[in-house]
Amino acid sequence: MQDFTPKGTAGALQEYDNKYVNVKKRSFAGLSMVLAAYKLFNYCHSYKEFKHKRPRKYH
Amino acid sequence: MSANVENSAVAPGLESVTPSLKNAALLCPGALQAARILHTGQPSLAPVPPLPEHGRKVRFGLIPEEFFQFLYPKTGVTGPYVLGTGLILYLLSKEIYVITPETFSAISTIVLLVYVVKNYGASVGEFADKLNEQKIAQLEEVKQASIKQIQMLLIWRSHSRHWNNIAMALEVTYRERLHRVYREVKNCLDYHISVQNMMCQKEQEHMINWEKETIASCIADLKLLAKKAQAQPVL
Repeated sequence: MQDFTPKGTAGALQEYDNKYVNVKKRSFAGLSMVLAAYKLFNYCHSYKEFKHKRPRKYH
Repeated sequence: MSANVENSAVAPGLESVTPSLKNAALLCPGALQAARILHTGQPSLAPVPPLPEHGRKVRFGLIPEEFFQFLYPKTGVTGPYVLGTGLILYLLSKEIYVITPETFSAISTIVLLVYVVKNYGASVGEFADKLNEQKIAQLEEVKQASIKQIQMLLIWRSHSRHWNNIAMALEVTYRERLHRVYREVKNCLDYHISVQNMMCQKEQEHMINWEKETIASCIADLKLLAKKAQAQPVL
């Protein structure tokens, strides 16, 4: 988690690949973790417009 | 007779075998292992380790097992679950996670997905595994065929070396015999030449002797005649 250079990112992706995706018996977890991370990332990115849609005023 | 067994025919044979594996589509895991083993020209890529059987364990399909192991010494077994529940409640109550219509669509999607994966995941996995196995078996066949081909080429090459030696030995004996024949013929011709020379010499000597004799006898006759002629006028 130390370098966010493209090379480091590619290395981290390759690690993730080797651990969860490119195995003999593939499972859904390899793909679902990527989708969950993508969903989380999008939510964080569009948090600003969600702030105004809160149903309650005080929380 | 010079039988040159060309060994350069082996190199083109080898060249035609390896590209077929290089171009094989690496579409399934394990294909890389099957294809890499024959490439000996790249020493940095050591024998690739075999693929792991299962991926790392993941709970709820989202959180890797390592997270649970990471929290186990401090909080025991229920630690991560309590953490998860507390986190979700905190996000909901402080409305950091806002409940919108999209939340409901997301919930229904996730429920459907979980249902499908739980029920049909195993059969789909088996089907995919079968496809994988077929591809790997195909590549294994190609690999075995090319290994056999290369082995036969190696055997042929060793035999051709053997034949090379035999051919060279045969040629050496042939040349030896040729040389001997040449020498014998030369001896025969030399003998004839020396015989002729000797005959000439002998004839010459004989001629000279004969001439000497005739001249001597002529001189003797002449002497006799001269004596007779001298004796007659006296009478």
